[in-house]
Amino acid sequence: MAQITVDGEVIEVAAGRTILQALDDAGLLMNGVDVPHYCWHPKLTIDGSCRLCQVEVEGIPKLQIACNTPVKDGMVVHTKTERVKRAREGVMELLLINHPLDCPICDQAGECKLQDYAYEYGVPHSRTKEPRRAAKKRVDLGPTIVFDQERCILCRRCVRFCREVPGTGELAVFERGDRSVIETFPGTALDNPYSMNVADICPVGALTTKDFRFKIRVWFLTDVPGVCTGCSNGCNVHLGVANNKVYRYLPRRNDAVNDTWICDAGRMSYAEIGAESRLKNAYLRNERGVLETAAYKSAIERAAARLRALLEAKGPGVIAALASPHATNEDLLTLRRLLDAAGVQNAGVAVPHWQPDALLVKAERAANAEGARALGFPDAHVVLDRVRAGGVDALLVLGHDVLDPAYLGDPAALASLDTVIVLDTHRSELERVAHVLLPVRVAAEKHGTLTNHAGRVQRVRPAVEPAFEAYAEGEVLARLGALLQLPGFDGKWDVRETSRALGTSSPAFVGVDVESVGEQGRPLATVVAGASGTGGRA
Amino acid sequence: MGLKVPYVTNYLTEHCGDDAFATLEGYEAKGGYATARKVLRGSTPESVIELMKTSGLQGRGGAGFLTGLKWSFMPKGAEKPKYFCVNADESEPGSFKDRLLLERAPHKMLEGILIGAFAVGAAKTFIYIRGEYAEPAKQVQRAIDAAYAKGYLGKNVLGTGFSHDVVLHRGAGAYICGEETGLLESLEGKKGQPRKKPPFPAEHGAFGMPTTVNNVETFCHVPHILANGAEWFRGIGTEKSPGTTIFGVSGHVARPGLYELPLGTRLDEIVFEHAGGVPGGRKVKGVIPGGMSMPILPAGQLDVPMANEFLRERKTMLGTGGIMVMDETTCMVRASCVISYFFRDESCGQCTQCREGTGWLHKIVTRLERGAGSLDDIALIEDVCSKMEGQTICAFSDAAVWPLQGMLRHFREDFELHVRHQKCPFPESFEL
Repeated sequence: MAQITVDGEVIEVAAGRTILQALDDAGLLMNGVDVPHYCWHPKLTIDGSCRLCQVEVEGIPKLQIACNTPVKDGMVVHTKTERVKRAREGVMELLLINHPLDCPICDQAGECKLQDYAYEYGVPHSRTKEPRRAAKKRVDLGPTIVFDQERCILCRRCVRFCREVPGTGELAVFERGDRSVIETFPGTALDNPYSMNVADICPVGALTTKDFRFKIRVWFLTDVPGVCTGCSNGCNVHLGVANNKVYRYLPRRNDAVNDTWICDAGRMSYAEIGAESRLKNAYLRNERGVLETAAYKSAIERAAARLRALLEAKGPGVIAALASPHATNEDLLTLRRLLDAAGVQNAGVAVPHWQPDALLVKAERAANAEGARALGFPDAHVVLDRVRAGGVDALLVLGHDVLDPAYLGDPAALASLDTVIVLDTHRSELERVAHVLLPVRVAAEKHGTLTNHAGRVQRVRPAVEPAFEAYAEGEVLARLGALLQLPGFDGKWDVRETSRALGTSSPAFVGVDVESVGEQGRPLATVVAGASGTGGRA
Repeated sequence: MGLKVPYVTNYLTEHCGDDAFATLEGYEAKGGYATARKVLRGSTPESVIELMKTSGLQGRGGAGFLTGLKWSFMPKGAEKPKYFCVNADESEPGSFKDRLLLERAPHKMLEGILIGAFAVGAAKTFIYIRGEYAEPAKQVQRAIDAAYAKGYLGKNVLGTGFSHDVVLHRGAGAYICGEETGLLESLEGKKGQPRKKPPFPAEHGAFGMPTTVNNVETFCHVPHILANGAEWFRGIGTEKSPGTTIFGVSGHVARPGLYELPLGTRLDEIVFEHAGGVPGGRKVKGVIPGGMSMPILPAGQLDVPMANEFLRERKTMLGTGGIMVMDETTCMVRASCVISYFFRDESCGQCTQCREGTGWLHKIVTRLERGAGSLDDIALIEDVCSKMEGQTICAFSDAAVWPLQGMLRHFREDFELHVRHQKCPFPESFEL
C-alpha cells in the first residue's frame, strides 16, 4: 500500500498502480477528483497519447500524465492548478482544430466526451482560420459499426480493444502526423463477436452502431440498471429507455462479471423485450381444439380448474412442471412453493445451450439456470422421460426452452397430454399443444434477481411496462396457487417478501435478496455445483 | 578514392580519408581492436563503466546525456539477455557526421560496441541504420562480417569467453525512428512510434529486454577513451563538455563539410575560418547550431563556444552539431515554412499536441509567408508552441517548436514585414 495526496486529500492506494488507476480504484475518478482523459480506459492497456490527464506532481518539474505515472508513497498530486488548467485547454483546443463540430447532426451529442470536456475544460472560441481536415465519412467498417474519420480524435481505444479484448486486431492507425487515420486492414472488416463495444468506448461520435444510430437523441433516454439475459454470464447493462421502449443495452461496469464489455449477441438481445413475437394475449383452447384469446382471469381459472380436476382424480403424481431458466429467483421460488404445496415432484428445467467463448459468452443460453438449480429444479430430462413414458397427464411449462433440440425439439411429444399450461414471454410452437397460454413479463419488466453461472445474484427492475396484460410468473403462480386452495397461497404476491424468503427456502440464498444485492450483485452463500459449461443431452 | 572531407580531423576522423581504414586489415594496421583486446582480457566491466563516467562523454546523438551514466542504468546480473542498440538513423536535417564514420570507420564503431557490450554485459547489438543509408549499410555489414571472421565478434571473442553478436537492421524511413524508443518499436517490426516512459529502455527495451541505445559517434569515442584514459579525454574540449565532435556545416558557406573540432570551439570560428564564411561577399543572417530542431542564432550571436553549457545561455543547444548557415538573402519565414513542414510531415501522430500542433503551425506559418497573415498569427504561433512544449511522450514536439520559437526570438521582424507588406519581402530568398 502507498499513501498519496491528491488536491489535499489523502488516498490509500495499492502499490504498483498509476495515479489514474489509483483514483479509479478508489472510485474517485471523475467522481470527486476530475482528471479528464480520452485514451485511458480502465480495461485497456495504457496508451499515454491524448495527454489530457496531465497533472502536477510535487518534485517533478514537468506535468505528468496521470494514466502512466506510478504512485509512490508520499506523492503529492495537484489536479486543479493553473498549469494543469492551461495544459487541458491546450489539448482541448488542439483536439478541436480539425474536428468537424457537427454536433447538431452527430449521434454522439449528449454523451460525447469531446463535447463534455470542451465545455468543462476547453476554451469557448476557435482560433483556426484554416480549413479543417477532410476525411472519410460514413465508413462501413463491418456488419455493426459505422465510422466517421473526421470526428475521430485518435485516442486509439478501439484499436487497443480489438487487439486486447477479442484479440482480433482488425483496426490500426494508418499514416502519421495529422494525416493519421484509423482504418481496417485492407480487405478486412471489423467483424468480431464484441465489435460493438468500440462504439461504447469511442469518446466521440466517430464510431457508432448501425443498430442504434439516429434512433433517438440520447438525452431522451433514461438509463435503467439491469442485466443482460442472453446467457448465464449476466453481463451488467444499462437499459436505455424512452417512450416505454428499450432502445439499447449499454454495458454497465462490473469488474466481477463483465468488466465494461458485452457481446454483440447479448447487446442485441434488448430487441426481444419489445419484439413482435411477444405473447401478448392469454389464450384458451376451445372445445373445437382451436386457441382463442381469453381474458387473463378466465385463463388462470381454466388452468386452475384443469389442474384441480387432475389432482382430485389422480393425485399430484400425474402432474409435472418445467421451470423457466429465464424467470427470476423469486418467480422460481414461487413455483417451487406451489409444487411443494401441491405435492408435485416431477419438475425440472430445460436449459438451452450454445457455443461459449473464452471471454463472456457462457454455454447456457439463459440468465437464471443456476438459480433454478439452486431452487431444486434438476435438468428436465428426467421429467421428459416420464412424459414420453406416458406417466404424465398435465404439464405446467414456464417458457418454451423445452423445444430446444437438446430436449424435445418439437412439441409433438406433448400433444397427447390432457393438460398443457404455458406461461411464456414469447410465442412459440408450444401454441400447438397448449390448452392455456398466459403471457408473462420479461426481466426488464419486473423486479427480481437472477443467478448467473458463477452463482452471483444480480438485480433486475422494471425498465418498461408491457403494453398488454402480463404479470411476473411468480404473481401468476401465486394466483394459481390460491385458486387451487393450496396452503400458503392467498393470491397475493410481493416480490420483495418473496425475495427475502429465498434465504429461508434455500441455504444458498441466505442473506441474498433483491434489496441487499445492490447494483453489483452478490455471490450465493454456497455456489451450487451446476451444469454450466456442459452441453445439454442430445 | 580518398575522401576529401572532413576538412579538419582529430582522433575520431583521423585516417577517414584513407579507403583502407574501412577494412579490418586497414583498421588493425592503425592499431585497431588493440584496445578492445586489452579491455576484454584485462579489465572488469565495472572499471570500464567507471572510466566512462569519469571521462564525462556526452552522447553525440543530440540530447547530450552522459554515456557512462546511461550504461550504469543497465541492470546487473544476467536474468534476461541485455541488448545494445546503435542509433545510426541519422535523420536530423543538417546532420551528416555519422555517415562518415559508418562508411569510413565502421570498425572503430564495432570496437566501441565491443567494449561497451563487455561493460554492460550485452549479448547482442542491433545497429539500426536509416534505410536511405544504403552505402553505409553495405560498409557496416562488410565490417561486421570481417569482424566475425577474425573472431572479434561471435562466440568467445578473442578467446576471452565473452560472446557478442551484432545485427544490422535497415530502417524503413522515418525521422521519429531516430528517437530511441521509436527506434526500438521500428526494430521490433512495429510502426515507428516512441514509447511512453516508464518503463525506460534500460528496464524494458528491445523485445522487452534491458537495452541501451547510443549514437554512432558516441561508440566511436569509446576506444579512444579506453586507450588514452579519462584524463586525456577531459583535456580536450571544455570542462563540462569534453572531447571533440564532428560538426557538419552546410548552407551558405564556401566550404560545406565535416569538421572534427574540440567541443567549445567558437561557432564563428567554425563558420568563418573553417568553413570559409558566406561566398559572394554576402553576410550571414542566422545560423542553426545543432541540426534543424535547435533554435537559430542571429549573426550577432555567433561568438559562442559550441558546448551545451554556453549554447544554453543563448537558448539553443548543440544537438547533433549540424550547423546550417543562412545568408542575408534568406527569408526566415520561408525557412520556418520548411522547418514546420518537416515536423508536420514527420510527427508520428500519437500525442495530441504534436499531431495537431505541428499541422496547425505549418498552416499558420505558410499563411504568413503567403502574405495572408496578421500580427495575431504571430502571437498565435507563440501560444501554440507554448502548449506543445514539454507535454508529450517524446521530445519531437519540443523539437518542432524550438526552432520556431528561435525564429520569432531573433527574426520577428521578418514575420512582421510579411504582415505589413502582405507578401514575402525577400525576393532573393530560396524558393519553397
